[in-house]
Amino acid sequence: MDRSTDNPILETINLCKRFGETQALHQVNLHVKSGEIYCLLGANGAGKTTLVNVFLGFLEPTSGTAYVNGRDVTGDGLACKREIAYIPEQVMLYGVLSGIENLEYFAELATGERQDRSRLLAHLEEVGLDRQAAVRRVSTYSKGMRQKVGIAIALAKRACALLLDEPTSGLDPKAASEFSQLLREARDRGVAILTTTHDLFHAKQTSSRIGIMNQGRLVTELDSQELGNADLEALYLQHMKA
Amino acid sequence: MIRRIAWREFIEFIRDGRLPLVGGLFAVLLVVLLAVGWLQESNLNSERSAAQGMDYNDWLNQKNRHPHDAAHQGMHVFKPIPRLFLIDPGIDPFVGSTIWLRSHRQSEVKFRPAQDLTGLQRFGTLSAAWMLQILGPLFVIVLGFGALSGEREQGTLRQTLSLGVAPQQILWGKALALAGSLALLLLPALLLALTGAGSAIEQDRLDLLIRLILLGVGYALYLGIAIFVTLAVSAVAPSSRISLVLLIGLWIASVIVAPRIAADLSKAWHPNPTGVEFNTRLDNDLEHRYRKVWKEKLGTEKRWGPELPLNRWGEALKVDDHAGYEVTDEHFARLWDAFALQQQSQEWIGLAVPVLAIRGFSMGMAGTDFFHHREFAQAAERQRRLIQDTMSKDLIEHADPLGNQHFSYKAGSSLWASVPPFEYSPPKVGFALRHNKTSLFVLLAGLLTWIGIAHLAMPRSA
Amino acid sequence: MTDPFRTFLLIFRHEGRVLFADRSLWLVTAILAGLIFYALYNGFNATTIRERTITYLRDLQQETQRYTIAQLRRIMEGKELPDPFANPADPAAIGSGMGRHFAVMPVLPLAPLAFGQSDIQPDYYQITYRSKANFMYDTEIENPWNLLTGHFDLCFVIVYVLPLLVFSLSYNLLSAEREHGTLKMLLSQPVDLSTIVAGKLAVRALPVLLCATLLPAMVLLVLRPQLFDIKNLFLLVLFIAEIIAYGLFWFVLALLVNAWGRSSGTNALVLTTSWVFLVLVLPVILNVIVSTIEPVPSRTELAARTRVIAIHTLNRYNDLLSADYRYTTQPEILLPKDGKIDVPIRRKGLFLLQRDQDQELQELLKQFETQLAAQQALVDRFSFLSPAIVVNECLTMLAGSGTRRHLHFRELVDRFHREWKAYFEPRILRGVAIKEADFHSMPAFTWQEQSFSAVVIDALVRLLQILIPTLLMVWLTKRWLFNYRVI
Repeated sequence: MDRSTDNPILETINLCKRFGETQALHQVNLHVKSGEIYCLLGANGAGKTTLVNVFLGFLEPTSGTAYVNGRDVTGDGLACKREIAYIPEQVMLYGVLSGIENLEYFAELATGERQDRSRLLAHLEEVGLDRQAAVRRVSTYSKGMRQKVGIAIALAKRACALLLDEPTSGLDPKAASEFSQLLREARDRGVAILTTTHDLFHAKQTSSRIGIMNQGRLVTELDSQELGNADLEALYLQHMKA
Repeated sequence: MIRRIAWREFIEFIRDGRLPLVGGLFAVLLVVLLAVGWLQESNLNSERSAAQGMDYNDWLNQKNRHPHDAAHQGMHVFKPIPRLFLIDPGIDPFVGSTIWLRSHRQSEVKFRPAQDLTGLQRFGTLSAAWMLQILGPLFVIVLGFGALSGEREQGTLRQTLSLGVAPQQILWGKALALAGSLALLLLPALLLALTGAGSAIEQDRLDLLIRLILLGVGYALYLGIAIFVTLAVSAVAPSSRISLVLLIGLWIASVIVAPRIAADLSKAWHPNPTGVEFNTRLDNDLEHRYRKVWKEKLGTEKRWGPELPLNRWGEALKVDDHAGYEVTDEHFARLWDAFALQQQSQEWIGLAVPVLAIRGFSMGMAGTDFFHHREFAQAAERQRRLIQDTMSKDLIEHADPLGNQHFSYKAGSSLWASVPPFEYSPPKVGFALRHNKTSLFVLLAGLLTWIGIAHLAMPRSA
Repeated sequence: MTDPFRTFLLIFRHEGRVLFADRSLWLVTAILAGLIFYALYNGFNATTIRERTITYLRDLQQETQRYTIAQLRRIMEGKELPDPFANPADPAAIGSGMGRHFAVMPVLPLAPLAFGQSDIQPDYYQITYRSKANFMYDTEIENPWNLLTGHFDLCFVIVYVLPLLVFSLSYNLLSAEREHGTLKMLLSQPVDLSTIVAGKLAVRALPVLLCATLLPAMVLLVLRPQLFDIKNLFLLVLFIAEIIAYGLFWFVLALLVNAWGRSSGTNALVLTTSWVFLVLVLPVILNVIVSTIEPVPSRTELAARTRVIAIHTLNRYNDLLSADYRYTTQPEILLPKDGKIDVPIRRKGLFLLQRDQDQELQELLKQFETQLAAQQALVDRFSFLSPAIVVNECLTMLAGSGTRRHLHFRELVDRFHREWKAYFEPRILRGVAIKEADFHSMPAFTWQEQSFSAVVIDALVRLLQILIPTLLMVWLTKRWLFNYRVI
């Protein structure tokens, strides 16, 4: 935490997104600094995924701006994507290729140059995939293993921001805690992490800050260190009612 | 239960717009085609029968002339267009429509319509049969590819099976829904065709009606195969997408690609000669035979000389003709049999590629297949021989005694009148059925096989 | 900085590896290669038969001529008496088929690639002085059922099957990645969607189009050495260009449908529908429209007119036909004397009869040619509606079996027929005997190929007719991709 700088890596200013009648995002102002894990909580349809998609350039904001490292995502989408790594609920890879082949491909796509295979293998090992697993076809992987490859891609890419969309839903507790550990390690290297989740306990455990979203609005932001488990749940339910 | 399933499925076809949109287009096109075909056909037919009448009139009214020259003028014979041509033109665009019956040699049926058309003709002839044979199965696929795979993806199949509904009931329910939708679309076309049949002249009416009903049966069998193939694939495919891709692949392989391969195979099994080969062999055999019979009957091989003066011209013509009939019959029979065998072997391939079987059956029932054409060609040739024999006989009786003045003999109208007009009534439906036993059997066998396969493909339990 | 070309190459390599691993690219290319080989086998078979026929006819013509000359010599030397109905010195006999003169349209080096109209339009006629109505409608013998089916030639594989193989590889080019979820992973990297699409397209198009063009070209170059000629090679290049353009058209259509952003299933349906419409339905409908707008005169009417004319002419020459015929009992009258011969009056009558029939039918017969040419012109004008028609027309033209070349041949035959008649008419009417030297100076049919530049221009126009819609689709695809919704 001490390594975090004041410049936010991920930032939105008055971000709005409409889908026809629905206001998916409404005046969202949010910033995530380097070395920080920011956790977005909210019901289905609260706008968490929409927010992530705006950062990725998959959606264009109706108004307002999203910045990655000071760059406007709508103006310089490709440059922004060089800085961020994305881990969806299901990291999907090419089933007929092995883990290392997938990693090689995505790493080269991300950096524009061929990566040294041994370095990539080291990244896989770092996230807990041994050499034997790395050369197996991805179609034999469990979800947890695929999520780990997703982190390895982020490592290989040397991303300064990580966007995660429900990354641990459907993981068994052991895999989920391994995954959280990996996130913490990334944070310690100074990566800014924005993650969405339904899991209050997980949010409390891993994050530095928590934002609660309801019907497109960021209703409150909390410092997770100052919170007890029970408080979080009570607060969450209270905001959901509103 | 089956009706209940079918009804639910049918409602779905209507609600998701597949049936009204695709089906409506299909039905409208079919009706337009029938109507346009009807008009064209009656025009052509009246033109041909008028021409036929005029032709005989001219024959009767020709001036006094040498009978051999009269035979040179000959008669034109026009193939009547079968009433059901508008449903299935069959091979008619690729065979001639007119024969000029003249002395000396069996004429070909000339003027193939396709010769007067551009290369576009080779893409196919727009007709009701073309639509049903080519597009019909595709329509079934579009309606039915997700019949079972879709329900499995949604989980409703498990639901239905868990309620204790037998898989067979689901299968027949779905089949009924597909068949019902097709029937709904084909009904207007069928009604139109029946009205047309009703308007036919008295003696043809029953024949026409039976042919129409048989056509209906044939297409029901064919589309039935399409329905059960679709359901079988839909039952085993892991997803609707794969079901669709598999079915489209099957459709293309069997409707577009396989018929051409089958044509090649059948030609390899039952080869037919090229035009030059056929004519050379026929000429050689004819010459050989002529020499033989001349030697036997006229005592010389040399055509016309002091040994055989012109006053035996009529007799010699007769000898030539009769020798020629046998040889020509033999050659044409061999050629036409080869064609028939080629067709038959392709109909057997119809077990795997049903479109070949329905094609044969459909043109057979419509009266536009090769067997009907052959009947016509043979009837025309009989008429030619009648003219020929009459003329030769008259020459023997009147011209031969004239010696070198042979050609100055002129016959008159009483001789012309002794040749009756050419009257051809196309074969009846019994003839068509006799020649299409194979294809009917193949269609039936195909349907039963696919019903069986579809049953096996159904999931046994939830 | 990421360089788009580098990314393109990377995606190309990667996609190749994926397709290689799931075997679909191999499978499709192997199927295509199999179909092409089979089609070529068929094409070469048919071409061999046609060429054998042509050789046979040429030999027959020469042999007949040698025999006739020898017979004439024997007659002139007094060793043999002339036959009253087959006298080599009689111009009426030589002109009416005893000379066995054929007009033949040669087979082009590219002929094995497309049957075209060669199975329904004759490529040879036996020329006599008789009316054209007598010989112009001969046809090759072929089972009408098989004519209806059509042939399995390269043109068929390209026009009908190639688009479907293209679809099978690319109907879910983008939609599959989106449905599978990998598209999100891809697009969270700094790459442009069009680069991804271009790479994916290239890896599919390259082997398929190489297979569709190189295989036939190589087989052709090995088996038909007459191809090694600058003009023929150029035609081959055009042929290849046409196939590539056509293949690209369907690839780009598949891209466009993918860029539309629906599910894989919908894509498959839309593509199949477009294929059914462009390849099956449109040509058939256009055929009906063309033959309705430019109808060919009624054949029934032709038959009726022929008969009426036959009656008139028979009446006109009735006296000549019934003249005294002494020649069978006194064949020595038929011997030429001082270059003159007594042409039997009846034969003169028959000649005049045919001459008049031909003249009077000329106009009507001409109408059939004119109308067919008019139909072809209409087809040319509207073929741009369906690339299948464009390619079919172009490939058959380059292979030398299109409607145009057959019409051209008929025109040459018509001209030659007139020459032939003009040669014999004075000889028959004035009774000039045929001499040995005449056999070498009488008209002989010489084939003139269609204008090369006309063929090339035609092919280039058709190339444009495919490339323009393709480029339009490329433009539209780019726009749609720009607005492509990943989620």
